[in-house]
Amino acid sequence: MDTQLDAAAARFPGRLRADAASGCRLHRLLLHPAAYLLYISFFHWGILSSATRFVGLANFRTLFAQPLFLHSLVTSAYYTAVMIPATVLLSLGIALLLKEGLSKRRGAIWRGAVFLPHVTPVVATAIIWVWIFNPQFGLANFVLTSVHLPALGWLGSVNWALPAVMIDSLWHSLGLYVIIFLAGLASVPRDLIEVARLDGAPRHHIFRRIIWPLLSPTTFLVVLLATVNTWQAFSQIFAMTGGPHGGAGGPAYATTTDAVLIYQTAFIYFNFSLAAAMSTILFGIIMTLSLIQKWISDRVVFYR
Amino acid sequence: MARVELKNATKQYGNGQAPAVSSADLVIDEGDFVVLLGPSGCGKSTTLRMIAGLEALTSGELWFDDRLVNGDPPDRRNVGMVFQNYALYPHMTVEQNLSFGLKAARTPKAEVRQRVAEIAHLLGLDTYLGRRPKELSGGQRQRVALGRALMRRPAVFLMDEPLSNLDANLREQMRIELARLHGQLGITTVYVTHDQNEALTLADRVVVMESGKIRQCGSPAEVYGQPADTFVAGFIGSPGMNLWTAGWDDDGKSVWLGGRAVCLPRSYLPVLEDLGPSITVGIRPEHLGLFRTGADVEVVCQVEVLEQLGSHTQLHAEVELAGEDRARLVARLDAAFAVHSGEKLVLTAPSGAVHLFDAESGRRVDVDQRSLAGALVR
Repeated sequence: MDTQLDAAAARFPGRLRADAASGCRLHRLLLHPAAYLLYISFFHWGILSSATRFVGLANFRTLFAQPLFLHSLVTSAYYTAVMIPATVLLSLGIALLLKEGLSKRRGAIWRGAVFLPHVTPVVATAIIWVWIFNPQFGLANFVLTSVHLPALGWLGSVNWALPAVMIDSLWHSLGLYVIIFLAGLASVPRDLIEVARLDGAPRHHIFRRIIWPLLSPTTFLVVLLATVNTWQAFSQIFAMTGGPHGGAGGPAYATTTDAVLIYQTAFIYFNFSLAAAMSTILFGIIMTLSLIQKWISDRVVFYR
Repeated sequence: MARVELKNATKQYGNGQAPAVSSADLVIDEGDFVVLLGPSGCGKSTTLRMIAGLEALTSGELWFDDRLVNGDPPDRRNVGMVFQNYALYPHMTVEQNLSFGLKAARTPKAEVRQRVAEIAHLLGLDTYLGRRPKELSGGQRQRVALGRALMRRPAVFLMDEPLSNLDANLREQMRIELARLHGQLGITTVYVTHDQNEALTLADRVVVMESGKIRQCGSPAEVYGQPADTFVAGFIGSPGMNLWTAGWDDDGKSVWLGGRAVCLPRSYLPVLEDLGPSITVGIRPEHLGLFRTGADVEVVCQVEVLEQLGSHTQLHAEVELAGEDRARLVARLDAAFAVHSGEKLVLTAPSGAVHLFDAESGRRVDVDQRSLAGALVR
């Protein structure tokens, strides 16, 4: 195979040859699994190769006839639709607070504190969050009741299981996005803010007219990363609501996102072809969303 | 237009750190063009930022006319500022850049449009209003930055090394344009630079700073002709003044400095006796020459390097001062003179070109040139 790649690369002149060879290898590494996944989704794929047969679009037809799959898409969309604005608003807000509101030394301590959850293992912290959301002994209900709000069922409730997972996911992922926003804020020249202050622009005006537009490439990056990450969210959901036997995301499939259903279909029911078809659809959704975001960014994002 | 006064103004960034600006006293009259000049880190930009309100004074007072503005935020001081790197909003067009401040102040749209048109016309920006900064040349960006600072009709115009990002030709053009603009508008202007050409050509008054302190404040002719101390003497002029510190002696005909290195007329004797056994003598490179008629100061030196600069020759030489390290000398000579490295020369200067400084404090000692027979003014 390498010989074939090198032969293909040899068609390029001079320095390009090395780049072309690396490109071919990268292509094989990244695109080959995706293409193979697409290939499997058109087959009935058994564990034993003798059971494998071409079925065309049958897997996709089966999926769209399954209410659970459609439910998982809606759940994923809901999860993403809440998570992305929350991620952007909270991480930007925290980044602004860390940049403006704290001294240098305190800022460094708080930056570390905010980033720390991101480097902790998802499954380990999910167990802590399961305890926090325990309806009887958990901290979440203790806080709610102490401010005279009703206690919630959290992970045991159809309505509150997904929000509980969202809180854990936000807690875990915000640190990374805060750091990205801090880097973006640091790249906004101080002179521009000072000129605006001399011009008498109020703080909100400076943020809206200067900082926010100059931060648009950073915001675009955060939205893009958050979209991909939330559509693929699995670990927190599995660890918090997977249950001991099925990993289906409960109760009553309340947290069954597309990624959770793929896992369940492939590794609990061993239906690889259906899981491959689901993955293909998930890949298509993420790709489409990314392209839409790119299209929007070309019109909205300002690159200096 | 406003009169700006700094009274004992000090800026210190941290406890235990040397102050960036130390006890600065400065009066900038209405309509004056004042240039803060000094090497990097001398506190000139900090002084400007204190006037702008971007830095708070650690102690002292800042007055705009009869108003103490220490606690006023930048927008309440009515100042316009031009930054070194222009600080144009990159995502806005020239028109949006110009109008930003007035729009933020909720000025009626018709007035904003009229003002933009006026400023664009004044600075020749009419055809660029729809462009973004990255589509403009350095000079055009600079003009937009000037225009934006002028939009609110500032009482004080502040410029922080506004020409340093331009190439030499453009810098000269912009310098002339700035002088023209100041003549036209007459706004009190404080201009920061480390380029003495800019300072001497633009300023009504030059404020020379070093290590956070104001060393001298005077007209360009004063800071060049009567430098207040050895720092100003060495800093102003290109190259700076030759300064030699040494003991002196009298041989009955002349007064010699540093053994037999620098010869002064005997009429200096009473002045030197008053100053003590050691003095600092300064002569500007352009005042030194070969075989100059009417010259009564002589400097013995050995040529080291000659730089042919077309219009003149710059001579670098060594002066042998007794008991001292060899001192350096720079002279600007007529290009026609043929001198060679290694040659021993006697350079001459008129006695009026000699500057005397106290050897210990470095402060200038003013000598009455008309009657050098003893008139000493400290």
